[in-house]
Amino acid sequence: MQKGVLLYCFDTSETKYHAILIRCVQLIKSNLQLPITVVTDKETHKHLGSLDSVDYKFIEPEKGNTKNGKQWHNADRHMSYDLSPYETTLVMDIDYFPFTDNLRRFMDTQYDFLVAKDAYDLSGRNSFNLRRYSMIDMVWATVLVFRKTEKAKKIFEMVKYVKAHYPYFNEIYRIYSKNFRNDYAFSIALEQINGFMGYATLPIQLPTLPPDCKVLSISDQGLAWQGDGKIMHTVGQDVHVLNKELADV
Amino acid sequence: MDSKELKRLNELKLQSGLSYDRALAKRNALEKAHSRMIVVYNEHIFRADAHTINLVSTLRDNHDTFFVLDTNQNPVEIKDATKFLEILIDRNQEALSAYHQLAKSLEKRDD
Repeated sequence: MQKGVLLYCFDTSETKYHAILIRCVQLIKSNLQLPITVVTDKETHKHLGSLDSVDYKFIEPEKGNTKNGKQWHNADRHMSYDLSPYETTLVMDIDYFPFTDNLRRFMDTQYDFLVAKDAYDLSGRNSFNLRRYSMIDMVWATVLVFRKTEKAKKIFEMVKYVKAHYPYFNEIYRIYSKNFRNDYAFSIALEQINGFMGYATLPIQLPTLPPDCKVLSISDQGLAWQGDGKIMHTVGQDVHVLNKELADV
Repeated sequence: MDSKELKRLNELKLQSGLSYDRALAKRNALEKAHSRMIVVYNEHIFRADAHTINLVSTLRDNHDTFFVLDTNQNPVEIKDATKFLEILIDRNQEALSAYHQLAKSLEKRDD
């Protein structure tokens, strides 16, 4: 297959990630109109029976990561090159809701690998500009686009190497995060593989809602949230939602 | 502070909150417009903003083919400038039209 979307979804005892996936898949089908492959486990798959036209790849997720004290199985993204059945792949977090077809256009470039460096805080607090303590620029591995080329393959091999020696690389680049973060692993790997001379990026800021913004409702066009005692909404704009109570909306 | 002054201060506080909310909605809409202005042409990524449109328009006046930089600073040969310019303008105006609609609706709420 030429182009498609690769998603990762693993339920935990605290969060029904499959409920988030179902919403994400609906939006991909209506707005991106690309084939979808979901990397999941058998337990999560039991809840996904009603999803039409979606392919599955089963793996046993790597465990151990936590976020805000809750389990979080997100350490498998380095396998995307091997798991993707597509020539050009869009890898997305399932909590990135594509309310537009904006990401689709990035499937038609000559670039081997593209990732965004910036996030845009929809709550107006610029809360994502705090990642400058590290010695290298950070990327947001929330959205990745890659083609099956030798260069992309080497990038993923480097990510695997960085992951295997994660505490060491974190120390070198002054990244202090107890958890394994895809963002940091890809940031380090991209610098390493490109000889610290920069790399191609997506020229967008990922519109993001911080974890304390609670999503109140979601429609086909957009969503409403509450934060700082206010209710706001956005329509016709992709949104990365960091509050995982989203699964219950 | 008497009750009249307290009431006036509450009104000012309310107005400040409303102004903030509208400014934030407008800022988010502008960001949405910026995202929408990205186009892919000839396998390269461009921003359909005033700078790119002016550059392409100016170069087209004097050259049949020419080179421009994409968003990753890579050179791209433009062989059909008229088509490229049309794509840039269409996307730019689509994005700004949506932004204009929202800005208008926010202005009405200020009335």
